[in-house]
Amino acid sequence: MSIKVLFFASLADLTGMRETEVDSRAHTSVASIYTKFARDFPRLEEHRASLLYAVNSEFVQPDSPVHDGDEVAFFPPVSGG
Amino acid sequence: MERYSRQVLFQPIGREGQEKLGRARVLLVGCGALGSVLAEILVRAGIGRLTLADRDYVDESNLQRQSLYTEADAREGLPKAVAAVRHLREINSAVEIVERIADVNALSVASLVQEQDLILDGTDNFETRYLLNDASLKWNIPWIYGACVGSYGLCLAFLPGLTACLRCVLQQLPPPGSSPTCDTSGVVGPIVHLVAALQAAEALKILTGNLRQVNRKVVTVDVWENRVATLDLSQLNRDGRCPACGQRRFEFLEGAHEGRTQALCGRNAVQIWRSSPRPVDFKPIAERLARLGPVQYNEFLLRAHVDNLEIALFRDGRGIIRGTQNSDEAQRIYAKYIGN
Ligand SMILES: [Zn+2]
Repeated sequence: MSIKVLFFASLADLTGMRETEVDSRAHTSVASIYTKFARDFPRLEEHRASLLYAVNSEFVQPDSPVHDGDEVAFFPPVSGG
Repeated sequence: MERYSRQVLFQPIGREGQEKLGRARVLLVGCGALGSVLAEILVRAGIGRLTLADRDYVDESNLQRQSLYTEADAREGLPKAVAAVRHLREINSAVEIVERIADVNALSVASLVQEQDLILDGTDNFETRYLLNDASLKWNIPWIYGACVGSYGLCLAFLPGLTACLRCVLQQLPPPGSSPTCDTSGVVGPIVHLVAALQAAEALKILTGNLRQVNRKVVTVDVWENRVATLDLSQLNRDGRCPACGQRRFEFLEGAHEGRTQALCGRNAVQIWRSSPRPVDFKPIAERLARLGPVQYNEFLLRAHVDNLEIALFRDGRGIIRGTQNSDEAQRIYAKYIGN
């Protein structure tokens, strides 16, 4: 009963994790998973409104539902060029 | 056509595609790292006209990744637009190349995008990208987002009317200072070339009329962490609520989000502020800037010394850059070290 969670780039630096898992029974949406990590890593909060959210490699809105076995990924956009 | 024989032999382009390329007009905004790779690929490919807009000048620290520039350009401190055009003309004298030493902003963008077939993103900040997004939609010109920092980068092509737009995908500008920039967190050459190559491939598809081949996914790559990931946007619900592509409200073109500057007379300083103030978190900014020089901050103000300038940043995002009276330079410093 788990959901795989992927953090990319600066989000992986912020959390110290590239990949982890959460209990699918504790979460109904992508946003609730993000909130769980933002409690442990408060600086995630400032990125919340400007992230790319994906479930199983598909772009989703933060309020999208999640299910057992899903892979949720958080991508920061970057501005360098 | 001998010059382009290998490209013409490539069946999806062919002779017809090469002729289309020869008539194509491209605006490249920003000619730093991504921009110089993009410019070289497109000029070698034989596009008809390249308009190259950049507000910066060549610095020694650019040479590690900005492949068009040389030590001589840095010694002379040439504007990037000028140095780039010189080298590009040596590479392919048949391409018409137009230089614009200018900041691309709400005032200047309208004239730059006229009679262009494609806008290429070589910028280093989100505000200009949202502006390009508005311009793309208003004048129905495709544009291609590319960006990188550290060892990570992304690419996404936007086709007005056919795909989502930048504001569908990223509804809010990241708050100033929240994300790392190349000037605070560094960048390695390979990710620049990789992202620019992805952008250039989409450009060739668009300019040769191969629209069905255009990648509708966001491509993300991290060359150090060995990760490649894509995000499929095909299920993105374009329900007309997007202010830009849905309601055609072009807030960035109207200047509502423009950074504003004011020279502070007699103080050798320029003030920069935002029309929509948002609280700034000093701690992550201070941590990044501390690698470049002395930084101190309290709950009201952050002060940092970089490049012989002093940056003072206030909670609402307002900044004062001391050591210059040039508002273009102050904007460049703000984008470089605070971000966005
Ligand atoms: Zn949109």
